[in-house]
Amino acid sequence: MKLEVNANVRRPNGFRLEVELSCETPVLGLVGPSGCGKSTLLDAIAGIEPGAHVVLDDHDLSRVPLHRRGVGYVTQDALLFPHLTVRRNLAYSPTAGPIEAVARALGIAHLLDRMPRHLSGGERRRTALARAIVSRPKILLLDEPFGGLDETRRREALALVGDVNRAFRIPMVIVSHVTEEVIGLADHTVRLELGRMSAAGPSITLLSASETRVDNYLVGRVVGPGRVAVDGVELRAAMPAEAHGSVRLACYAHDVLLAKHPPVEVSARNVISSRITAVIPTGHAMLVEIERPRLRAIVTSEAAAAMDVQVGREIVAIIKATAITFLGSASC
Amino acid sequence: MESVWISLQVGAAATLLSLPAAIVVAWFLERSRMPGRQVVQTLVWLPLVLPPVVTGYLLLKAFSPRGALGQVLDGLAMPVAFHWLGAVTAAAVVGFPLFVMMIVLAMKAVDPRLEIISCSLGRSPWQTFWRVTLPLCWPGILVGAAISFARGLGEFGATIVLAGRIPGETETIPLRIYAELDAPGGEHRITGLVMVSIALCVLAVIAARALDVWYRRRLELER
Repeated sequence: MKLEVNANVRRPNGFRLEVELSCETPVLGLVGPSGCGKSTLLDAIAGIEPGAHVVLDDHDLSRVPLHRRGVGYVTQDALLFPHLTVRRNLAYSPTAGPIEAVARALGIAHLLDRMPRHLSGGERRRTALARAIVSRPKILLLDEPFGGLDETRRREALALVGDVNRAFRIPMVIVSHVTEEVIGLADHTVRLELGRMSAAGPSITLLSASETRVDNYLVGRVVGPGRVAVDGVELRAAMPAEAHGSVRLACYAHDVLLAKHPPVEVSARNVISSRITAVIPTGHAMLVEIERPRLRAIVTSEAAAAMDVQVGREIVAIIKATAITFLGSASC
Repeated sequence: MESVWISLQVGAAATLLSLPAAIVVAWFLERSRMPGRQVVQTLVWLPLVLPPVVTGYLLLKAFSPRGALGQVLDGLAMPVAFHWLGAVTAAAVVGFPLFVMMIVLAMKAVDPRLEIISCSLGRSPWQTFWRVTLPLCWPGILVGAAISFARGLGEFGATIVLAGRIPGETETIPLRIYAELDAPGGEHRITGLVMVSIALCVLAVIAARALDVWYRRRLELER
């Protein structure tokens, strides 16, 4: 996705959004504190907020009305049409493709004949996402898709959006007030403050030292009780006994320890020999990426220096089985 | 009982006649960004605050055979002044502000973001109105229709000026009651009409409220 936006929006309350951005990325993250203008910028891209100059993949959308822009707009509170069943919600768009495949992928195939009032919060969000995907948009705009969720649900939602991105390959713009939420999904991130762009660049470089709760998302196959194969490496994870087949897992980057040599008699069940593929400074910390399984660890700059962390170096990653959370079956 | 039947016909016709206009005006006041909303708002409210006799007089000026609208409608063989259609027009005009007000309230209750989502999914504003706004407004439209109908049943001042009291054509319940009260011993003859009048209005409002509650529960618009 190649996106250019020049938005200059004034609100009656004095708020002013002045953003000029240009990027080429499959997933763009918009982050910043509440009230900084993220949602306004998203509305400008969608065409809800008039007057913004928007060019998507060399097509000037500035004068194209919302209903002809081909944007899939998904908000935090789903906004399903309450008088239509899930099936009719999904088939609402005149450009809607077959709904069954998307419904299956998002785990709502069994809900198609229900009314929205009979859905749980998570089911509503998945339906809203499915409805946007079925409409075959040129771009998906997700406004705080992880807002108001508890930790488990948030991780599930993050993994779901990641799945959608991989399975349907629709360019996305994701708005969140929590930087680390979009780091794992967006390749490029723009940070807004007081209606202006305060930083932009590869997502990982926008992390500050205090924002180290980076999630690692893993997809693997259960090979035994509490055991799952990820990228050909067998991991121990805290999984329910009934888990089987393809599963999604997550663990925080700060729960991954690094060692130069395999430790002796350690309680952690996962000791993985791998190789460093990237080292990214993030304020006072270093984000270290290893190749198999693809994982990221956060270490302090001091620890990185002491261990002489460098790209290409052999390293041992250590993760407690309980630090790897089971998110659910992999649907996409 | 003839006046009851005329009242029901007049009330129903007035409600049906004003329904499309009430929806359009309510949409204009609540959802459009076009100029002139204040002017339209004031005009819509006028019949509610003007003395009904004054409203009737203004309607008579417009719809009399020498009035601008009257000439056109007479030419179409649809005379209004001192005809059944006059009673319908008077009832429709006097009930119109309440009708519009109820639909405006119903439109306010529809989350405008649903309309944005509809447009983002490729539906034009017109399609969005038919597919999202209007279906979600039905409770308010039903309540508005019931109140407009009940108001039409009770209309007196504007009706007597515009349509006169022609038994069998424009003599609605209130006009009949007025005529009976003016005649010796008539007070004893109106008890039935008064009871019917009250019962019809109460029934209309209860039915509308019941439909409103049922529909809102069905859509979970109200918890």
